[in-house]
Amino acid sequence: MDINTFIDNFAGQFDDTDRSVFTAETKFREIDEWSSLIALSIIAMVDEEYDVTLKGEDVKGAETIQDLFNTVQSKKQ
Amino acid sequence: MATLSTTRVKIAGLAACVPRRIEENIDLPIFASREEAEKTIASTGIERRRVCNDGVTASDLAEKAVVRLLADLGWSAESVDCLFFVSMTRDYLAPQTACILQGRLGLREDCFVMDLPLGCSGWVYGMSVATSMMQTGQFRKGLLICAETNTKNRSPKDRSVRPLFGDAATVTALEYDAAWDKPMNFVFGVDGKGWEAVHMKFGGMRHPTTVEALQEVEVEPGIVRKGTDMVVNGMDVFSFAIRRPPASLKELISACSIDLESVDYLLLHQANKFIDEKIRRSLKLPPEKVPYCIRDFGNVTNASIGLVMVVQLAERLRGGMCHCLACGFGVGLAWASMEFTAGHLVCSELVEY
Repeated sequence: MDINTFIDNFAGQFDDTDRSVFTAETKFREIDEWSSLIALSIIAMVDEEYDVTLKGEDVKGAETIQDLFNTVQSKKQ
Repeated sequence: MATLSTTRVKIAGLAACVPRRIEENIDLPIFASREEAEKTIASTGIERRRVCNDGVTASDLAEKAVVRLLADLGWSAESVDCLFFVSMTRDYLAPQTACILQGRLGLREDCFVMDLPLGCSGWVYGMSVATSMMQTGQFRKGLLICAETNTKNRSPKDRSVRPLFGDAATVTALEYDAAWDKPMNFVFGVDGKGWEAVHMKFGGMRHPTTVEALQEVEVEPGIVRKGTDMVVNGMDVFSFAIRRPPASLKELISACSIDLESVDYLLLHQANKFIDEKIRRSLKLPPEKVPYCIRDFGNVTNASIGLVMVVQLAERLRGGMCHCLACGFGVGLAWASMEFTAGHLVCSELVEY
């Protein structure tokens, strides 16, 4: 798994936030556009792209995109 | 894998009743902005829902649908041998609502009646129970009611549920026919460890209602509810709903060697468009094979599969045979998929209460 691809996929769920805003260290809940609907899109994206099922607590427990990436990676193993 | 096949029982008719009152999602005061309302509508596909007035219960909607369907079928109330009432919004905790409905509908006193407290998987589970009991031919005519007043046990101040759920009742008339050679095939699933994804904490025996349970609490901005209101944990439901239903349908397709090309319709529990479209795409079915009624009625839980048939497929079901798959999934967590064939049905016009 590649973190940069993951950030691209993550950023792809946002309509109004520029890609340049997103880094591994981005605290995604602090992005203005973040919403519960985007959280669902992220779960769907991870299901489609990585074949991993995230639960609500996985998303809630992650602070940065890197955190979520780590969760997906550990669930994939 | 547990599969079930039932034979010699066919669907004879379908009817549905919805409240007359319409609630438009775009106008709901619970959204932070009009933009948020528009985004929610775009993603869920739900523009409006039918909402019961105070004092109207699921059994009231059901009674109207049954009376209409019996008249359209030309069946007398006395001819009904069994009645199943699938609901999580029953009239009383005791007795079961099916008993009360026997009296109100004027069914025989030797009629077999039973409540099945199932949510969104309820039509498929209900069909498995009803047809299993009828397939020996001792019960010849049966009614499967799926009725829910979801707006009564959910908080109107909870934006995670109010834009999604509506009220409706459906009734499916079943008939024993020794010459009917099209089996119904079922597969089931349950994940009891995930029960907290959708639940009502207070009001049962584990947590009896207390004064505190009746206080409104702001769980997070936009989500205000009482302890007796239904909790729907959106993210957990979503991750369940994009995984289990497609797997269940694939299990059924494989176990029963179903040729997807021969399937006319996949009838999905109308959860929301986002979820259902993911399920449709994972089975690679074209949009015309997966009908929706979600835009105008929202998620009506166990009544959704019956309602989509009445609202979208009535003409088709009155005519020739349709080869269908159906999948219900939700609270439990429970899910079930089935294959059935139906046609030449009596399909009543939508009844309003």
